[in-house]
Amino acid sequence: MASMALKSFTGLRQSPQEQQHPHFIAQALPRQQKFRVSAAKTSPKLTNRNLRVAVIGGGPAGGAAAETLAKNGVETFLIERKLDNCKPCGGAIPLCMVGEFDLPLDIIDRKVTKMKMISPSNVAVDIGQTLKPHEYIGMVRREVLDAYLRERAEKNGASVINGLFMKMDLPRNFEQPYVLYYTEYDGTKGGVGEKRTLEVDAVIGADGANSRVAKSINAGDYDYAIAFQERVKIPDEKMVYYENLAEMYVGDDVSPDFYGWVFPKCDHVAVGTGTVTHKGDIKKFQLATRNRAKDKILGGKIIRVEAHPIPEHPRPRRLSGRVALVGDAAGYVTKCSGEGIYFAAKSGRMCAEAIIEGSENGTRMIDEGDLRKYLEKWDKTYWPTYKVLDVLQKVFYRSNPAREAFVEMCADEYVQKMTFDSYLYKRVVPGNPLEDLKLAVNTIGSLVRANALRREMDKLTI
Amino acid sequence: MASFAISASSQRACSSNHVTKKQPSQTRTGRSLGTKQVSNVVALNVDGQKSLDIVEQQDKSSKSSSRTSKPNVAENDDLDTQSSHPKFNDARWKNGTWDLNMFVKDGKMDWDAVIVAEARRRKFLEMYPDSATNEEPVVFRSSIIPWWAWLLHSYLPQAELLNGRAAMVGFFMGYIVDALTGLDVVGQTGNFICKAGVFVTVAGIILFRKNEDFQNLKNLADEATLYDKQWQASWQDQKPSGPGKKI
Repeated sequence: MASMALKSFTGLRQSPQEQQHPHFIAQALPRQQKFRVSAAKTSPKLTNRNLRVAVIGGGPAGGAAAETLAKNGVETFLIERKLDNCKPCGGAIPLCMVGEFDLPLDIIDRKVTKMKMISPSNVAVDIGQTLKPHEYIGMVRREVLDAYLRERAEKNGASVINGLFMKMDLPRNFEQPYVLYYTEYDGTKGGVGEKRTLEVDAVIGADGANSRVAKSINAGDYDYAIAFQERVKIPDEKMVYYENLAEMYVGDDVSPDFYGWVFPKCDHVAVGTGTVTHKGDIKKFQLATRNRAKDKILGGKIIRVEAHPIPEHPRPRRLSGRVALVGDAAGYVTKCSGEGIYFAAKSGRMCAEAIIEGSENGTRMIDEGDLRKYLEKWDKTYWPTYKVLDVLQKVFYRSNPAREAFVEMCADEYVQKMTFDSYLYKRVVPGNPLEDLKLAVNTIGSLVRANALRREMDKLTI
Repeated sequence: MASFAISASSQRACSSNHVTKKQPSQTRTGRSLGTKQVSNVVALNVDGQKSLDIVEQQDKSSKSSSRTSKPNVAENDDLDTQSSHPKFNDARWKNGTWDLNMFVKDGKMDWDAVIVAEARRRKFLEMYPDSATNEEPVVFRSSIIPWWAWLLHSYLPQAELLNGRAAMVGFFMGYIVDALTGLDVVGQTGNFICKAGVFVTVAGIILFRKNEDFQNLKNLADEATLYDKQWQASWQDQKPSGPGKKI
């Protein structure tokens, strides 16, 4: 991948979609097949039926996609393998998600308005003083959120199928449908399930980090982090401290390239950490995280232990033919904060909107060009966010001195305002240039001081 | 799938809470095993073949004793205090910050001592990470130390060293070039080639102070562009393929 000469990102916007008719070579298909791609306006109008789209995976991405599709006249099938799945997840959603997706406020268990960042030498910085009274980070239970989105999709006309997607047959030519093979469960516990097939015109793969849809289209692999989390029920008087406060611990002991956290949930806290490079040591990092938060979670009982992979960057191929990946399956998790719920839901909705537009509300067949519009829109809208977070991670999660500098920087009010604005509303707002300059100088100062202390530390022996 | 396996094993793990306790008890018995082995090795050197059997027996007994001791330790409930490591304390560290009044030397503020003290505290915490308590939060900020104190402490000594080295190299290079070309020092400073040589040398030393710097810079360049490449991989397919690839 790295050996091929890549176009610079600015060059991408200049290449118009409509004029090109690339011959799509799908390496998975045998040589005799030819996939003719052409603009949707010349696609045949579907007779007697609407466009059929299957959404594999019923998380935030799948639920949002299915709802948008069904609301606009597309025949939608949502296939989810476990309808009561209690996903291991931080569970934080930004404020804009509540508005954009019309989430009822009772889904949100807690409104976090304060955060504490704790450096390797236990310097603790409180952030959140710049938040306005109506601003917060919502903590949700994934089973509640996912179920709500799925039910809303169903109310809008999608068929929710409780089944496990097994594999998919790619069509041999443009007119042929995609044939999905899945095992349907009838709701009884421990039931084996019946094998079924389903023919659809397009597929949205929203089945998460270990996506089978991605495997079917040879989307390629990504680097992933392991996030390990323990849910701890702590005594009520200790729970008061975490009423609307979340903590982030940084340090080499807690994680070499990520952070450890204590997030409040409905009636317990989630203590966890994650790593990309040292996955084998995750238990050690978890112990260190618990040690750092020891006083505050003393006397707690572990009620659940969970772990999950988190993608670090998008898959090499996010769509193929009329199959598109969204959410974790595509790898849309940000660096530095590891945020995925909002981007999953938003990408599901964006992909669905691209399908609606390309098929003119489900009346025409779509093609790969329409799905590419979704990729283009996504990259254009969120690329700055992803890149900025990547740079932050590279600069500030490198080493202990960098983390100390990071926590010091977070004490600055301007930094807090910019961070929360960009997190809560998902827009990169250009700040005051003078303040930006001051911020740059302060950042460099912090980094220099922390590294000078590190050099001192190297000279000492204890 | 990896996540299924993990969740399955974690279900087992959460039912037995002393999974998490195994590691510290193992290290403790590991340490005791280690000391026993050291003493046995010493015994081996002194005695001969006879002591080998004793050594093996002692190892076995220590192993069995460690196995019996493990369940006792594991009975402790999860998340109870287990502070087996030393805590940082210093007479000048009060209430989560350095008491600057205690760093006054001869009537003047001794910032060097503050820098060294903070470095020692950070090193200690790096080796023995401590929990962050609400009762004694750390409120020290390194920005309290003025900028000139940092310069005096870390930058100036290094600058003095480099300047000294540069002066010595310069003197000898001037002598050698004079011997080879006949240009004396005044003539060398007027010559374009000599000046270009000095410029390249200075730039090279700044960029590549150590051998690793070259590789570091290369790694940095790769790292800065890797994320972009990963995002643009999806656009690879869009390039129109050449005529030869039609199937």
